Amino acid sequence: MSLRRFPTQTMVVLLVMLITGCKDREITAYRAPKDAAQPVPGSPVGMANTNDLPPGHPPIGGTPATTPADASAPMAGAQMRGGGGIPVVTEGNAITWAAPTHWIAKPNGAVRKGSYTVPGDGGATADLSITAFPGDTGGLFANVNRWRGQVGLAPIAESELQGSLEHLDTNGFHIEIVTLAGTSNSLLGAIVPFNGQTWFFKLAGPAAIITKEKAGFRDFLRTVKPAQL
Amino acid sequence: MNTVTRLLRDFFVSLQLTVVLLILSLVLVFVATLDQVNLGIWAVQEKYFRSLFVMWTAPGTGLALPVFPGGYLIGSLLLLNLVFAHIYRFQLTWKKLGIQLAHAGIILLLIGELLTGLLQQDSYLRLDTGETKSFSESQRGMELAILDLTNPAYDEVVAVPESVIAEKGLIQHPKLPFKVRIQGYHPNATMQRREQAPGAAPTLATAGIGTQIALVPLPITYKTDERNMPAVYAEVLGTEGSLGIWLLSPALGMPQTFSYQNRNFQLTLRSTRYYRPFTVQLLKFTHDKYPGTEIPKNFASRVRVKSDDKQTDREVLIFMNNPLRYGGYTFYQAGYENNDQTSILQVVRNPGWLIPYVSCIMMGLGLCIQFGFHLTGFIRKRSAVT
Repeated sequence: MSLRRFPTQTMVVLLVMLITGCKDREITAYRAPKDAAQPVPGSPVGMANTNDLPPGHPPIGGTPATTPADASAPMAGAQMRGGGGIPVVTEGNAITWAAPTHWIAKPNGAVRKGSYTVPGDGGATADLSITAFPGDTGGLFANVNRWRGQVGLAPIAESELQGSLEHLDTNGFHIEIVTLAGTSNSLLGAIVPFNGQTWFFKLAGPAAIITKEKAGFRDFLRTVKPAQL
Repeated sequence: MNTVTRLLRDFFVSLQLTVVLLILSLVLVFVATLDQVNLGIWAVQEKYFRSLFVMWTAPGTGLALPVFPGGYLIGSLLLLNLVFAHIYRFQLTWKKLGIQLAHAGIILLLIGELLTGLLQQDSYLRLDTGETKSFSESQRGMELAILDLTNPAYDEVVAVPESVIAEKGLIQHPKLPFKVRIQGYHPNATMQRREQAPGAAPTLATAGIGTQIALVPLPITYKTDERNMPAVYAEVLGTEGSLGIWLLSPALGMPQTFSYQNRNFQLTLRSTRYYRPFTVQLLKFTHDKYPGTEIPKNFASRVRVKSDDKQTDREVLIFMNNPLRYGGYTFYQAGYENNDQTSILQVVRNPGWLIPYVSCIMMGLGLCIQFGFHLTGFIRKRSAVT
């Protein structure tokens, strides 16, 4: 092959690029099978359907700019549950709870069973997470010290463990509660063994919110129960 | 050989060009990676890699200037450089076989990437359990579909891509007895019921549900977990004049319909559809999680593939890393939604999918031969000494 053919080859490459580059500007016409009748989705929870849309018309708008485009994202519906004192049932392991109305439900992500933002004064927020893991996950002592580490407190000795716990017996559960006031953040934690799993309810954030929410957190724990009750 | 040709030859076969191009591509990848924060992955791919030049718009002027070579330009020059150097220095000897093969492998890899960039088509197939579909949908591309519903057996579809709508011109097609003028186009918008937005600007729509809707334009989002929800005002122009202006958007959740010349038509702005000569039905979707977490361990879709010509009718299990390859398309398990009732398959058509495999084999083989020659030569030399 001679190098003199270079301009011809370049032209061919550029031509291919140009031709294929115009592909998505074509108006196409084709014959297509009819779509199956689409089920009409119901109105989102809590939205009164008082408008005068034609019968069978789905709600307008939806959540356009925030619709997850990532197909592998967890269900968008999961973000809507909880809050407002509506009982939340987790799949499979069947524990329910009712969050106080001022807690704001947020997406659970990959690990959490429940997730809330707890608002405080002046825009400050604390985070409430609900998780569950098989077995005793290292036991009470290890978990309390893990939480102590998270708020910057030194670990305690095993002999001091019982003194640092409060207990709550409710709906057949024996719940261990721990209150930890750290240097910058504080934490309210509850550990609930159930059906071979250990459930963790953890409220962490600024000390002011944790102090204010302490009674509310205990009331919240009283709503935790096995789903069948 | 005249001077110009010699200059061109020296330019294209030079190793300096290779080094410069490799440095340019390093810079390009670095800057593009940083810019992902602003633009997200797909916009970065289009701007930096699938373009001849990286364009920059001077603030306040709207004038786009090329500021850096784009991926296609660097890639094409690298390809030319490699091909010319290969030809120029080519020697048909057994000794050079390994190096020739390895270089040919790299050339093939670059050509493969170019073909993939130009010809690959990505789309998604969303199936509820039991549902059958003969089309997949684009993740981001939208189209204005004008459907003639008159025949009870099928629909006649005229599909107008979003790039044409964005020009807000007059759309006509031999299959349509009317013209469509795009009166307004918003690449991203949200909408509200008009009585809930008393201060909203007056609507352009004169027919359909759009008369009751207030449109709020939004800036284009580049985030990977969000999608733009475009909206258009489409005016239908018959021979007697305007039939009305309809508001269309995927956010409406429903197409708009009208009749003209005793035929029923439907207007809808929807994800671009790609129809296939076969159907896929989702029989069962399974989703296992790691114990104690919501982290998926495995998802699998059992589907039934039926071709229109009745040659194929079989069941296939698609799961992670085990796609279905059929009719030039590859179906990957991509996701799920709707409480595990809906499975999402990614449908990829890439005519050049085999090229990277072939080129890697060529490069591996070439390197083995090259090093093999060196090794045998070395062993021979050593045994001659001892």
